[in-house]
Amino acid sequence: MNDRAGEGWTRRRALQALSCASTATLLPGCTSRRDPEALTFWATGYEGDYAPHLMTAFSARTGIPVETQSLPGTAAHEKYLTARAGASLPDVMMLPSGWAGEFAMIGAIAPLPDPALAQDTFPGVMRPLTYEGRAFAMPWSVGSQVQFYRRDLLGEVGYDTAPTSWEGWRDLGAKLKRRHPDRYTMLMFLNWWDTLITFAGQAGAYPLRDNDTRGHFRTPAYRHALAFYVSLFADGYAPRVSSNELQDPLAAFAQGWFAIYPNGPTLLTDLHRRTSEIAAGAWGVARMPGPGGPGAVSAINNSIAVSTTTRRPAEAWALARHLTSVSSELRFQQMIGVLPARRSAWRSAQLAGPVLRPFAEQVEQPAMQPTIVEWERIRLEVQIIAERVVRGGLTIDEGLAAMDARVDALLAQRRRLVAAGKIA
Amino acid sequence: MTRQERSAWLFAAPVLAVIALVFVLPTLLALGLSVTDYSIYALADWSNLRFVGFGNFTDLLATPLFWRALGNTAVFAALGVPMAIGTSLFTALLLNDATVRWKPLWRVALFAPYVTGIVATAVVWRFLLNTRFGLLNWLLAQIEVAPVDWLGDPRWSIPAILLFVTWKVFGYNMIVFTAALATVPQDLMEAARLDGAGAWTRFRHVTLPAIGPTLLLATVLSVAGFLQLFAEPYVMTLGGPSQSTVTILYFMFDEGFKWWNLGQASTVAFVLLLLILSLTLIQTRIGRRYEWL
Repeated sequence: MNDRAGEGWTRRRALQALSCASTATLLPGCTSRRDPEALTFWATGYEGDYAPHLMTAFSARTGIPVETQSLPGTAAHEKYLTARAGASLPDVMMLPSGWAGEFAMIGAIAPLPDPALAQDTFPGVMRPLTYEGRAFAMPWSVGSQVQFYRRDLLGEVGYDTAPTSWEGWRDLGAKLKRRHPDRYTMLMFLNWWDTLITFAGQAGAYPLRDNDTRGHFRTPAYRHALAFYVSLFADGYAPRVSSNELQDPLAAFAQGWFAIYPNGPTLLTDLHRRTSEIAAGAWGVARMPGPGGPGAVSAINNSIAVSTTTRRPAEAWALARHLTSVSSELRFQQMIGVLPARRSAWRSAQLAGPVLRPFAEQVEQPAMQPTIVEWERIRLEVQIIAERVVRGGLTIDEGLAAMDARVDALLAQRRRLVAAGKIA
Repeated sequence: MTRQERSAWLFAAPVLAVIALVFVLPTLLALGLSVTDYSIYALADWSNLRFVGFGNFTDLLATPLFWRALGNTAVFAALGVPMAIGTSLFTALLLNDATVRWKPLWRVALFAPYVTGIVATAVVWRFLLNTRFGLLNWLLAQIEVAPVDWLGDPRWSIPAILLFVTWKVFGYNMIVFTAALATVPQDLMEAARLDGAGAWTRFRHVTLPAIGPTLLLATVLSVAGFLQLFAEPYVMTLGGPSQSTVTILYFMFDEGFKWWNLGQASTVAFVLLLLILSLTLIQTRIGRRYEWL
């Protein structure tokens, strides 16, 4: 390290200068890296990749440069935690809404300076962003799982749109299996928890009890949801695959390997971009099926938070306001498909199409989810057990018992702290 | 203390200081952490921290995934060490043959995977192992073997990752063995040949005793390496499918950095340290018996 710091001109720096010179016209951020004047912003996924497009307007208006860092979604949680422990959090950050309570608890993010910042949104959106009665993050985008379906494949067996009841899903599965025994009806990655949680929400099951200190999986509602989930694999309607096995699920969807792809709003962007593989009229969107038709579904929301360690809180909040403004949210919707968390943004004609109607209906009907710190881990570990049930290692009742046992163990420390009155 | 001893300590002092700072001190701190219930709650408020003694250890023994990780790691090491060392030794013996031409070229080509970035090679191997379009299954199809779901089937995920790891690491020991093979006395080899010893007998009674110490060193390092397997499952399978590729280190990483249960993770680190230490002691004892040390 020492020999590098002392020299003015090293090979690395020469290469950097060279690459910056050649790309300076393409990448405005290249020469301004580690600009001490700049605010820093971290985000995952498309949001991280495309946020610089939102920053130009902010920088032009306020004169404050912003540096955006895009984080990989699978490593974001540990990245934020280690950054907090090492006091190197960015000024402003995107957080999946379920994490806001955790980061508020460890003092990483600051409460909203003005309660008005939490208004103009949908039901249930602020609940996970609130910790000990105070709001700690601004809603940015809303969404939930919906089913993307292939119109042509469903048409072959006599369906105009995707069924929205569990019974209907199984009927469709049976018909498609008869017609194409080597193909599948729906894709539900075995290492992703979203679909099982969606089903549980639809069935009206809440996974915890006793002030969120114990698992509550051995209930008729949860059993119903898990049994339905497992039956889709057992009957060959869904392939037993994990996300790392399928390099390009959208290509497989376009090739007709499966007909229904439960996913969130960002899939819209991919579908709009890859019309050469899958024509715009070949797919449709419907709400996720429930036991007796569509119902409450757990939300996939993202929010914007400001770190407690920012040296310029006023400017950081200005950036947070800018990112969550109606115009920024609409611009982002156009660019990457994420849906505005501001209710007033939905009055725009841009969001009026039939493709977005299922999302618009669904955001009004969110399922209640736990907001405790351990929830992120619980849903992962519950899915691990669900995967074992699907692969035949456990029966459904053994699986539910294992979920209760594992979740009780994960919540042991929370139980003790709640009993001692240290946390609510 | 004699003058000679003093200067010896003086020369060793910088290294000892660094070892104390970056090894002894962190190890002691981790030992301290491992008897507390340090978690995200302690990050929020220090008063939530408790001394739990061996509590983490007993919790660990009651965690199914820990045993799973321990079992997976044992399988990785039990299969991987012979595979990797066998491949290294075999290629080193091949390259050692007088009839092989362009030796430097072969050495560079076979050593290259070891120095290539793991993420880049993992991407390539994920393509090779792809169930529907992968080269490996295409080759199997040529001999009429049904496609194997390498990274998706819990029974095949460990062999698939072992193929990748072996390919990635065998080059290092190959170079070490190449150097050792150069020290095998040629006159002894020729005498054995004149006495009518076949290729296997010559390997068993001339080559092996000569490279014994190197073999022991390679085994000790490989066992320690395989017990600390982390990056390969992390980039290939994220521990899946069905946790079949979660190793001890992977388990520790998740506990510590993903969920911030640093108390529990430190306990895992100590269990792993004791495990590697005891296995190494056993190996050196075996080595002494054969007078390889």
